[in-house]
Amino acid sequence: MNNEKLKLISEEGIRIDGRRLEELRPLKIEIGVLDKSDGSAYVELGKTKIFAAVFGPREVHPKHLALPDRAILNCRYHMTSFSVDERKPLGMTRREIELSKVIREALESVVFLEEFPRTSIDVYIEVIQADGGTRTAGLTAASLALAEAGIPMADLVAAVAVGKVEGHLVLDLCDIEDKYGEADMPIAMTPRLNSIVLLQLNGRLTKEEFRKALELAKKGIMEIYQKQKDTLRKKYSEASLMEV
Amino acid sequence: MPLYFSEREIVLPGQLLSDDSKRSGEGTYVLGGKVYASTVGFATIKNDKVCVIPFKGAYNPQPGDKVIGIVIDVKPNGFEVSLGRHLTATIRIPDKKEVQALNLKIGEVIYAFVKESGLRGVFLETGERIKKITSGLLVSMHPSKIPRLIGRRGSMINMIKKETGCDMLVGRNGFIVIKGPSPTNEFAAVSAIKLIEKEAHSQGLTERVENLIRSILAGGAENE
Amino acid sequence: MSISQIKKSLTARIVQEKIYNLLMQGKRLDGRSPTDIRPINIVTGLVEKADGSALVSMGGTKILVGIKTEVGSPYSDRPKEGSFTVNAELLPLASISFEPGPPDERGVELARVVDRSIRESKCIDLEKLCLIEGEKAYILFIDIYVLDYDGNYYDPSTIAVLAALATARIPSYEVINGKVQKTGEYFNLQLQSLPFTVTFGIIKEKFLVDPQIEEESALDVSLIIGVDEKDNIVSIQKNSPGLIPESLLEQMIETASEKSKFIRQKFCEALNIRK
Repeated sequence: MNNEKLKLISEEGIRIDGRRLEELRPLKIEIGVLDKSDGSAYVELGKTKIFAAVFGPREVHPKHLALPDRAILNCRYHMTSFSVDERKPLGMTRREIELSKVIREALESVVFLEEFPRTSIDVYIEVIQADGGTRTAGLTAASLALAEAGIPMADLVAAVAVGKVEGHLVLDLCDIEDKYGEADMPIAMTPRLNSIVLLQLNGRLTKEEFRKALELAKKGIMEIYQKQKDTLRKKYSEASLMEV
Repeated sequence: MPLYFSEREIVLPGQLLSDDSKRSGEGTYVLGGKVYASTVGFATIKNDKVCVIPFKGAYNPQPGDKVIGIVIDVKPNGFEVSLGRHLTATIRIPDKKEVQALNLKIGEVIYAFVKESGLRGVFLETGERIKKITSGLLVSMHPSKIPRLIGRRGSMINMIKKETGCDMLVGRNGFIVIKGPSPTNEFAAVSAIKLIEKEAHSQGLTERVENLIRSILAGGAENE
Repeated sequence: MSISQIKKSLTARIVQEKIYNLLMQGKRLDGRSPTDIRPINIVTGLVEKADGSALVSMGGTKILVGIKTEVGSPYSDRPKEGSFTVNAELLPLASISFEPGPPDERGVELARVVDRSIRESKCIDLEKLCLIEGEKAYILFIDIYVLDYDGNYYDPSTIAVLAALATARIPSYEVINGKVQKTGEYFNLQLQSLPFTVTFGIIKEKFLVDPQIEEESALDVSLIIGVDEKDNIVSIQKNSPGLIPESLLEQMIETASEKSKFIRQKFCEALNIRK
């Protein structure tokens, strides 16, 4: 890195990767990419690349952890060692543990766990390349994997990170914007119910900035939600009209 | 009732289906007086209720279902049988002599009927209703695709049996036992099952399955 | 402490019998012959942040490998050489029988067996990875992730490691005033050898190559043999309990040699390598 201060947003409001302030990175979604799980999805948001897989409902091991009236939702958010600039050693870091928790709580908010007592639903998110917004892209992928697995839920979950960079509110922070910006706020919603299932803030925002950032996030979320729905519909579009 | 979907439309979780909260069936949920889809599937009206038939869903045993299971535990008062995935069923036999007479061992495969299924668990009928399967090829497919394997009034499964010359026992829980005159015939049946699992929702499937079986039997497709 | 694996995937006895009966007739569940390997697919460079990466599938088994480079001190007894370490993780994504948690003994074994194949065949020229003799050298971190498990993660893991190494662009470093920094240029690793492993499954006195997951639960024992392009055996690992009939060894070594050649050919074709 040279000594000049890196300019993340130009005079004309163009970001370091050529995007406008309210522009999402290119989004690619594939469903059913892994065979052994009950449901799976692959999401690319710019250079961020993530797999998600769901197993369940299945038996709980050890048995004594099972709940009598509902399923347990387990979630593991994990990054490969080569997904980041500096190699990450194997094993779970504290960040991965925290993110596993908030993602699990987001999904628990929408999955109808009471339909499968004494079972577990296991969600695995594997980040193979991290360029910002991994927990939100991971959640977007996990929601699709749950849908493919046929796990009943209230709505799909779509998520994105908004933030503040050089005084401007921006949508979908990439890694460098997250590192050198003033605020990073990941948000996940169930758009149909207009409810928030994940919300965190790392940084500082005025109340007005928070309101505007939320509006910006909602726009991004609706775009992602539409893509999720289009991809799901396309996958099943050949469905024949036979007696099921 | 006012509906927001067309018959057999593909719906997604969270999609609004109707305003009549009193008529919500499987695959849906009620919120604020409205009915929404809870899984990906076909929306339809069944027994005057709005339902979503999921493309994939966990198997929920119903009394009378025919299932195939693997014995996983032997107890003084019965047996435990795995029906695959998260399901373990129980055969409850209070009479110790009867338990011994049935003589089921761990790893043994049985064909049985579901007696009851509820909060207390899944129970299988005992006595003569249990058939031991001592030979054959055991394969599994996702239980939600079994209806497609059977087909309308058995059309698909009967075609496969006829074309491959194999005996096939199908468990509603996704386990299938195949017994055929030769390994190639059995392989043809397994390949048919795999194709149906992969393409359960596409058009013209019956014809494609038939063609696949014929090409395997003709010695053509050795590698699938 | 190593504990017997709990059979998570249930085996019905009739399945074991069936697989053996088929094998007696030279056939397998998926129509392959006993020595056929499933279709291999290699994609490289998927992870740009890695210095080298490869996603390999062998049938339904999918392996992702990434390489990261750091600069550190060489080993005191090998001052003119760089080094590499291999790690592996059996991701819970991949199978109902992989659980999250610290590296399972199977993952550690996978890493060490692949490591030995690469090391004994002198695949990587470690002297080229020296920066300053006795002081600074390149360290390659080769990390294997099993993404989808349909039987036999050894052979596609070896292929993925070699594909990642063969297509790696290692950032070059220099030392200026005692500080190690990137020059902004990259270099390729010229692999000196391409050792591929071949995994065998044995039932009674018959063996098969590249077991698929349904076959694995019916096997008595399994064995992995690594062979390089000069037909040297560069690694062997019996990786399950069970008895290997001595009479089968000669045949398996011959088959390993033959299959390793086959995989090497597919590998070179896929990566456009003349070897």
